[in-house]
Amino acid sequence: MNATTKLLGMLALAVGVLFAADAAVAQQDNLIDTIKKRGKLQVGFSSFLPWAIRDKQGSWVGFEIDVSTKLAKDMGVELDLMPTAFDGIIPSLIAGKFDVIIGGLSVTPVRKEQVDFTEAYSQSGQGIAASRQLASNLNYPEGYNDAKVTFVCRRGAAPCKTIEDKWPKATVRQFDDDAIAFQEVINGNAHAILTSEPKPTFFTLQNPDKLFKPTNDYVTTSFEGFALRKGNPAAMAYFNDWIGKNKDWLKQRHTYWFKGRDWASSLPAS
Amino acid sequence: MQPDLEPARQPPRTRRSRLTWLDAALAVLCTCAVGYFVWRTHSVLDYRWNWSTIWPFVFKIDPASGQWVPNLIVEGLLTTIRLALWGILVAGVIGTLMGLARTSKRLLPRLIADSYVMLIRNIPPVVFVFVFVFFIASQIMPVLGIGDRVRGASPIAQWWISILFGSPKLIDNFFLGLICLSVFSGAYVTEIVRAGIESVPKAQIEAGDSLGMSRADVVGFVVLPQALRNVLPPLAGQFIQLIKDSSLVSLVSIQELSFMAQDIQVATQRVFEVFVFVAALYFVICFGLSQLFGVLERRAARAHR
Repeated sequence: MNATTKLLGMLALAVGVLFAADAAVAQQDNLIDTIKKRGKLQVGFSSFLPWAIRDKQGSWVGFEIDVSTKLAKDMGVELDLMPTAFDGIIPSLIAGKFDVIIGGLSVTPVRKEQVDFTEAYSQSGQGIAASRQLASNLNYPEGYNDAKVTFVCRRGAAPCKTIEDKWPKATVRQFDDDAIAFQEVINGNAHAILTSEPKPTFFTLQNPDKLFKPTNDYVTTSFEGFALRKGNPAAMAYFNDWIGKNKDWLKQRHTYWFKGRDWASSLPAS
Repeated sequence: MQPDLEPARQPPRTRRSRLTWLDAALAVLCTCAVGYFVWRTHSVLDYRWNWSTIWPFVFKIDPASGQWVPNLIVEGLLTTIRLALWGILVAGVIGTLMGLARTSKRLLPRLIADSYVMLIRNIPPVVFVFVFVFFIASQIMPVLGIGDRVRGASPIAQWWISILFGSPKLIDNFFLGLICLSVFSGAYVTEIVRAGIESVPKAQIEAGDSLGMSRADVVGFVVLPQALRNVLPPLAGQFIQLIKDSSLVSLVSIQELSFMAQDIQVATQRVFEVFVFVAALYFVICFGLSQLFGVLERRAARAHR
């Protein structure tokens, strides 16, 4: 067999695959009807303190879980929680693995090109925690804008972009998970971490001899919305209406999960 | 067993088993090196080890019945074991069929098998996993409709399914990972099987032909048994590789051991304890499998004599 035949065979396969993928995206009717007919709301999310975490019993708890549970109940359907690796959460939505992302996904211009966001159902702030050993002498914030300063953040998350905007000269290292990123700062391998509050505050309280907070203000605030596949105006209107009706309830749940630590006793002690 | 007629061909028996002063010196040196390494890690890595938080994730007390029941780590471990066993079976079948196709005299089977092997061997595993899951598997899975069929099955069937494939709720998730892993590993098994088939002397096939055996009989009774016996060691290596590769599918949210480990890390904030514990579990599975293959290899070698 010569090289040309081989190449042609592979090309034919690749084209076939692409067409198949295209067909799947094209077929899409009213999402809300589909959910109700199925009797199940499939929600994609990713584990992140205190948005969605496993408690001691291994079940899911957190702000997102409260929101998804109530949403499913109000729609009169079962809730199907689909924990998803954060890296693949938007591709998974687009590929149709679940109906909606309720996963603390901040609204950013880049993400808006791929998916549609509802109105904000939560507002969160990004906070900073820094290494006592490395960053004690740095002036906040101008001193952090230096190539010698290393920031860490969770890969693909909004804070990575914030670091680029605020401290363009700083070095950024990205980790798959915040727990590892924090460990890097605690070990004195990076100067500071930027991630959504209340994590920076909690970690600083847990490791007072290793970490400190250069500022208690939010570095930047961001809004989170449900993410939907593009072209679902009916579902968008439905979810926006739900968020509008439940403003006070959402605020109350947000305060419970983000301002206090009453829930900490149900979690494994760290 | 027949008496040994050619003692001169036997490998030398004199394997020394006594320790000498040189061995002792080397052992001391190794211990010192390991000790130094541990001490260095301890001083560089500032970490307060706390193993107690991860045990509840291995087994928990069910509040309803007050009994010990498996928690996330054991659930993930079982998924990984199921993925591994089914993966070995499916990848083995794919590999054997494709290996036969790759050594076929006809063009079409060879074309298909060659494209398959070339396509997968020349893509990094992580990229393959993503492309496969988002473009190909998302087309196949809804057509198969495994989840719906399982939910419609009888309670006894459901019980068997949950033993063989895990919780019916996660069955689509499991099959997605299984297909992905099998298709990926199958390409490597194909190459090993091909090597095995090519190692069988042509005279054997001709002998089969001259006895009037059919094509299928020659393949089934003459070629494959010898081929597979010849490639048992690399095949064992590939299957152990498959178990380790199963951690890759955690990237596409298949809820096996590595994925669960990530969740537990987030919940407990104990990064290294979870890593170390999970690594130990993988080691136990892979080591167990390599022991099993060792036994098989020795049996195959005895049968060969």
